[in-house]
Parts: sequence; structure tokens; C-alpha cells
Amino acid sequence: MAVEVMTVEVAEATAKGLVAIGAGLAVGLTGLATSIAQFSIGAAAVGATAENKDMFGLGLLFTVLPETIVIFGLVVALLLLF
Amino acid sequence: MFKVQTMSRLLIAASKDQLDTIVRELYRHNLFHIEDFVESDEEEYEGYKIGMPLPGAGEVSSDLIRIRSIESSFGVSAGEVEISVRSGTAELTRKIESEFPLIEKEAMALIEEKNSLENTVREYGAKLAELKPFAGYTGNLEDLKGFEFFRVFAGHVSAEVGFNVPNESFYTTVNKKQFLIAVVPLENAGEAEHSLLDAGFQAVAIPDETGTAHARIEWYTQEIARLNNEIEAVKGRILAQKEKHAAFLVACDELLTAEVERKEAPLRFATTEETFVAEGWVPVEKKGALISDITSATGGKVYITELEYDPVNDVVPIEYNNPDFSKPTEALMDIYSRPQYSEFDPTLLVAIVFPIFFGFILGDVGYGLILLALSIYLRKMLKGEAGQKLLDVLRNASVSSIIFGVIFSEFLGFALPWDPIGINRHLNIGGHAASGHGPDVVLMLILSAWIGIVHLTLGRFLHMYNAMKRHHPGKHRTQAVMGQAGWILTMWGILFALWSFFALPIMPDLTGFPALVAGLNIFGILGAVMIIIGVVSIAQENVLELLELPTIISHVLSYARLAAVGLSSVAIAMVVNYMAIESLIQPQLESFSVVGIVFILLGIVVFLAGHILNTALGILGGGLHSIRLHYVEFFTKFYQGGGKKYQPFGKKRKFTED
Repeated sequence: MAVEVMTVEVAEATAKGLVAIGAGLAVGLTGLATSIAQFSIGAAAVGATAENKDMFGLGLLFTVLPETIVIFGLVVALLLLF
Repeated sequence: MFKVQTMSRLLIAASKDQLDTIVRELYRHNLFHIEDFVESDEEEYEGYKIGMPLPGAGEVSSDLIRIRSIESSFGVSAGEVEISVRSGTAELTRKIESEFPLIEKEAMALIEEKNSLENTVREYGAKLAELKPFAGYTGNLEDLKGFEFFRVFAGHVSAEVGFNVPNESFYTTVNKKQFLIAVVPLENAGEAEHSLLDAGFQAVAIPDETGTAHARIEWYTQEIARLNNEIEAVKGRILAQKEKHAAFLVACDELLTAEVERKEAPLRFATTEETFVAEGWVPVEKKGALISDITSATGGKVYITELEYDPVNDVVPIEYNNPDFSKPTEALMDIYSRPQYSEFDPTLLVAIVFPIFFGFILGDVGYGLILLALSIYLRKMLKGEAGQKLLDVLRNASVSSIIFGVIFSEFLGFALPWDPIGINRHLNIGGHAASGHGPDVVLMLILSAWIGIVHLTLGRFLHMYNAMKRHHPGKHRTQAVMGQAGWILTMWGILFALWSFFALPIMPDLTGFPALVAGLNIFGILGAVMIIIGVVSIAQENVLELLELPTIISHVLSYARLAAVGLSSVAIAMVVNYMAIESLIQPQLESFSVVGIVFILLGIVVFLAGHILNTALGILGGGLHSIRLHYVEFFTKFYQGGGKKYQPFGKKRKFTED
């Protein structure tokens, strides 16, 4: 049935919508992945910093490492959208 | 600049009768980083022992402890006290003898008074809690005690107690729980206890009071209120004392701390029967003044010599050597790690590049002005040195943010009356959608990749520079330098290969050349050759490094956050404006009504809350991501860190003078 009403405009709109969903998934899923990764690293980093303040720099460094994943997601989303 | 302060290693030897003079002179100069002497069995250390504190150290320490105890009971801290006139040392010493005992006595008396009042309040509070359950009992409390033939039970029960012995009971409800007072003949006490146990009886002690519970409760409540007033009065007197003596106390503290540090300095020196030897570090340009002052103070009875040291393997204390502009950035370096003595000090580079990254991310005149005002305001409020440095960094960053805001033509997400210069970050949201042309996302992504490529190449070159300085000429140095060259070649080889296949904006277009071998044109082949040479060069330093090859791409792409985080901040600002102004405020202004005022107020709230949130996110996004690019992507290419902080023997005096 859907095939019968599918005009060019509808197809274009659908494609646009799917692109937007794809972009959303790219950011959302990579965001989840990053947060899962940062969750345990962050906890450990705070613990290490509490033990020894000099660990702060290194702890921060380790904590932000997984951020690369979500940045990739964001880049993909931006490329999809624009 | 780019190199930490050059240090000289000094050895000072003299006879012990010069000890006090020399220590005083060293302390006054506040330049000499003492290398602690460690006793050792090695031959060259034979006969040397750790020194003893100078005479009088014990007395001064105990004076200092007394002063600190008064300071802590008054709640005085040196950071809070502002003084107009510094106290002279001689006068202060006299005052410590004459006035301090009086102050101490007075303070002790006040503290004592306060403590005893507080204890009484606590005691009365406990009694009050004891009395509470009996509040409903109207008889005299003393009537519940002192029976010869009866036993009185008082306590909480969960249900009414079915006594099967003669008794007289009284029930009341306390805190939603039943409370029982029961009087039972002594010979039936055992049975009564059984019944009580069945009812979940929890005994409560009968207060040792005379009169009704109600009257006693009232009396105690009044007493506590009165005592609390008295405590407030004593606190006021303590505060007055604090105001009066704070300046004196912190000055004494400073004077005596200096005295104690001086008297205990020999604990860090090597001594023999008659002489002592102190070793330490001094910034090279201040060495001359220190040596000549010590020599003249001791009348030449001292031997000072400069020792040789190995700048790479010896642990040299690190003092930054930066122009004023990059001094605040030292705080960012300290968060990561101080540079080592022989390596390149990137503080100035960070001081320049960090604000640029920050501005590129948060390029908005409005947010820039807010952050500028915030950093200047907090700078006046905050006292700590590290905090002030970080605020100075924020100030520089927000200036850069304003400059980029002018380029991007942005003010709190609105467009300024000119077109963006070069890069357009305006998204198609709300009113902007009509203007068509969305943001130059691809342009921004490629520009940030370029920034990454340049930054990382620079990092690799700095590693080469460090290797040249650290290693002596030879196989080791060549390997290290070649390895880094390999990384650069591989990265640029990949770039050449890419350019020969794809034409990208703001990157060289090398696609137009005829293919020579296997579909590769001349630049494609060049790229491939560069990659191969690069990989071989990396492998010759350390084969395991090849595992890191993917980081070439991931680290460059990581710079895409410069574009991405910035765009997300613009998006939030524009959405807030769209919600607040275009959807809530504007339609109401066009057709004015009473209900409209609510919408307008709501719009203002959304506007303020949204932009406050976005400012906070802007600091986090702009600051953390910029510094992360330095810490993770840039520093891992060359920076080692782990230098020991230069801590000269001495103290900057704030409250005292000679």
C-alpha cells in the first residue's frame, strides 16, 4: 500500500527523515558508548585523585580518552545533515 | 622562554659558628632550594651526619604551637587578613614576650567559658529528651521513685498490656507510640515483667527530677534558650577579640614560622664535628648576588663552590621561565605535570594556542563578554594563587572568544549586523532558516583537521628537538629522531595519497594528474613511498610503536571537536533564542493581552536560564576540550614532564619586616 502512495516528494521527505534518524543514532549511540567507557574510568580517576592530588592531570587525561568516540559520532552526524 | 630556569648547583661549607648567619642570609634571599642530605654508608659520605637544630628551636616551636592554637580557636587564617602596616621584627618579638600571654589568657578564658556553656546546653538537652515521654503524666516525678514494696515500670509498649497481677497503670501516646507507667507490688514484679515482655516493652529511665514533667520541661527549655543567648554573647566577644588581634597573630605566626624553619634548617645539612655542608640549587642569574651577600655577611669565612651536574639524569628543581603573558598558563601545565629540566617547556605555546582553540569553539561576543566580566570579578574575590592563574587563563580565553565572535558574527546566538568573515556558523533555526545557506560544516571540519595536522606535526618536531638535547650524538639519538621523522612522513604520506584521490575544500587538489601505476598518479605514488619510508622509520625505533599507527588518523580527527563542540554551542544558543523570543515573546508583543504578559515573563526566564546553562557548557566545552587536545593529542607526542618543583628555602613575607 505504501508503495502506491509513494510520490517523489514523499520519497524525498522519507529519505530526509531517515538521514535525520541516522544522524541522531550516530550521536546517541556513540554518546552511550562514551559514557559507558567513561563511567568506570572516571570513578577510578576520582579515586586516584583522592589518594594523590598529583594524579589529577593524568586522571583527567584517561577520563577524556573515550570522548573521541562521541566526537566521531558527532562528525558523522554533521556530515549526514549538511 | 621554551626552556625552564637554568639552575646552578651550589655547595656551601663553613664552620659551625657561621651556621646561624648563613641560614639567616639564605632565608632572607629566598632563593636556595636545599638538597636534603641523606646519611649514607658510602665512602665519600663518611664522617658526615645530619645536623642538629640550632639552639632555641624547641622553645620557638612551642611558642608557635601556642599561637597557632589561639589562631585556630579564633578562626584566623593568614589568607583572610589584610594589613596596612607591617610589623617590625624587634617590636613583634618584644610583644610576643609581653602581650601574647595576656591575649592567650583572655582567649583561653573565653574559649573555656564557651565550652562550659555548650556542655551545659548539651546536658540540659539530654535531660529534656529524657523528660519528653513523661510530658503527659501530670503527677510529680519524685512520686515514681523511692518505693519499698512496689516496683515502677516506665517505657514504650507496642500494645496495651494485659496484667494478671494487681497494678496501677497510666498510658499516654508519645511520638505515635504508646507509653506506659505501671506500678506493681514487688512480689508480683516477676510476673508483670513477663506480661510486659509480651507487649514489646522497652524500658525508659525515670528522670531524677522533682515536680511535674511539664514544669521541668518548661524550665529546661527556658534555661537552654538563656544559655544559647549567653553563648552568642561569648561568641561575639571572641569575634571582637579576633578582630582586635588577628593582624598581630598572623604576624607572630609568620615571624615564628620563619624562626622555626631557620632553626631547623641544619636538619637538612651534612655536618661534621666543627663544620657543615649545605647543597642546593639557585637560579643561575641570581647566584652572584647570593654568593657575595653570604661572603660579606660571614666576613669571608665560608667556602662556596659551584658543582657540576648532569642536566638530563640529575633531578634538578624546576622553576618556570616565562614572559608575563604565559605565566598564568603555568597553572595548566602544573595540572598535567611540570616539565623536566632538559626538555622543551611548551608553556608559551599552550598560552598562545589554548585561547585560540577556546575562541574557535566559543566564538561569541556575548559569551565572551560574560566570561571576561566573570573572570575579572572572580579574580578580585579569589585569593589562592593557582585559582588566580586559572582565572587569568579564562580571561585570555574570553578575549579570544570575543575576537572570534566578531569573525563569526555572533552575539548570544544572534547575528551581528555584518556577515561572518570566512566561516559561517549560523544554523538554520527559526528566523535564520529563511536566510537559506546553513553553516559551513565541511569547511570547519577540514579547517580543524588542518589545525590538527599542523599541531601534531609540531609536536613530533618538538620530540625530535628533545631527543637531540637529551641523547648524545650516536645510534640512540639517530633512532629517536628517525622514528619521529617516520611519524611525520607517514601522516603527510596519507595526506598526499588522499589528495591524489579526492578534491577537498581548502586542501591542495592533486587529482588532475595522469595515473602512472595502478591508478596512482605521481602524488599518489609519492604518498605511498612516504608511508612506506615512514613506517620503516617508526619500526626501526620500536616495532611495538606500529600498533599506534591508527592514532595518526584518530588524533587528527579528534581535532574535529573544535568544529563540532562549537556548533553544538551555537545550536543551543539559537534554539534558546528561538524558544524565548520567536515563539514566546514576539507573538505576544504583536497582539498585546494580559495573559501575554505571563508568556513574555516565561520567555525571559527561558532566555536567561538557557543562556546561563550555555555559558556554563561553554566554559566546560571550550575549556576542557581545548586543554584535552593539548594534554592528550599534543603532549603525548613529545612531552614527558615529572619535574620536581623549585621550592626555595625562605618565605615571602606579608606581615612582617625587619
